[in-house]
Amino acid sequence: MELATLDQILEGKGKEPFDVIEVLQDIQQTYRYLPEDALCRVSEKLGIPLIEVFRLANFYKAFTLKPRGRHLLTVCMGTACHVRGALRFLDEVLFQLAVQPGETTEDGAFTVETVNCVGACALAPVVILDGKYYDHMTPRKLRDLLNSAREKDKGGL
Amino acid sequence: MNKMVTITVDGARIETPEGMNVLEAALEAGICIPNLCYIPSVTPLGACRVCIVEVVQNGRSKMTASCTLEAKEGMVIRAHSEDIIRARRNIVELLLAEAPNSRAIQDLAARVGVTRVRYPMRNNSCVLCGRCVRVCDEIWQSKSLGFVGRGRNRHVALPFNKRPEFCKRCNACIDLCPMTITPCPGPMKEPAVCGLCGSQLSMAEDTPDTCVWCELGRGFQCARWQLKGVLNTT
Repeated sequence: MELATLDQILEGKGKEPFDVIEVLQDIQQTYRYLPEDALCRVSEKLGIPLIEVFRLANFYKAFTLKPRGRHLLTVCMGTACHVRGALRFLDEVLFQLAVQPGETTEDGAFTVETVNCVGACALAPVVILDGKYYDHMTPRKLRDLLNSAREKDKGGL
Repeated sequence: MNKMVTITVDGARIETPEGMNVLEAALEAGICIPNLCYIPSVTPLGACRVCIVEVVQNGRSKMTASCTLEAKEGMVIRAHSEDIIRARRNIVELLLAEAPNSRAIQDLAARVGVTRVRYPMRNNSCVLCGRCVRVCDEIWQSKSLGFVGRGRNRHVALPFNKRPEFCKRCNACIDLCPMTITPCPGPMKEPAVCGLCGSQLSMAEDTPDTCVWCELGRGFQCARWQLKGVLNTT
């Protein structure tokens, strides 16, 4: 783990105990998860007991202690999406990516998560890829979406 | 020095420093309010709700945990009214269903008169009383363990499930845990309460506001069960 970046994160933030969420958010964004040694450092630097940092990391859904993939695919399982076949659609997602909810694909590209409702019921069934909402999902649309994300990855590398 | 106030618990007038919690004041005066998560000299949490009492204000009463209730001048407390006894039994019944294999909770059940459990048994090993967490935090200033997770996934854990360097290995968390006390060796049927602690129960029922020193883990001497053991062996 490159601790240099962690130092940079800690440098730019306040040193008060209430700054911890902000710091954790930045670490989550940089590493796509919260590494154990990073949490130990945060606890030392901000003067918060390690158990408090650990509790926060466990409490908020935005934080993960397991590495996430490059893309986060969130499948809405709300009532409206459920009626429009979210369960079957989730099966399709899991089949196409060969993972279980909460897991990351082997190549580290996608992490699949389920969420109870995103409040976009008129667009059901909805998936969110990296914060962008995609409406009226079908298996076909999903395949295109995943492929375009993979293409973007290749272009970027 | 704190100002002394007078509160009334089950009709008895008690003098206590202002701001002292009602549970401690009552116990000091020898009035027994059953309790589980309360540890003297540690901040009360009000997690187990066993020490529930009724506070009468303007002719109306409301139920609240006495360990987190601060004594105020002229407070009228009912610790053993019909409603309270019923509510307390229900609370202990739920605790017993959650974690039946604890002597502390079995004793509590015998003390408040729970003889059957109507809820499905969970057989958990923790009732989230927070005794370990608070003693580690406040007495030993170590903060090695705490509550992790939320909702039904809330549990006591160590950071990354490893014993941290700053844990003093005082084992106070284990000492104070109600689950580490070996359960009653009595003739336990499926619903965890054998109902043979009847003599104890009647003692507590006949003189409801007398402290029977049901110190956590000390255990009732289950007279009838002991007698039964003698009868069986001879």
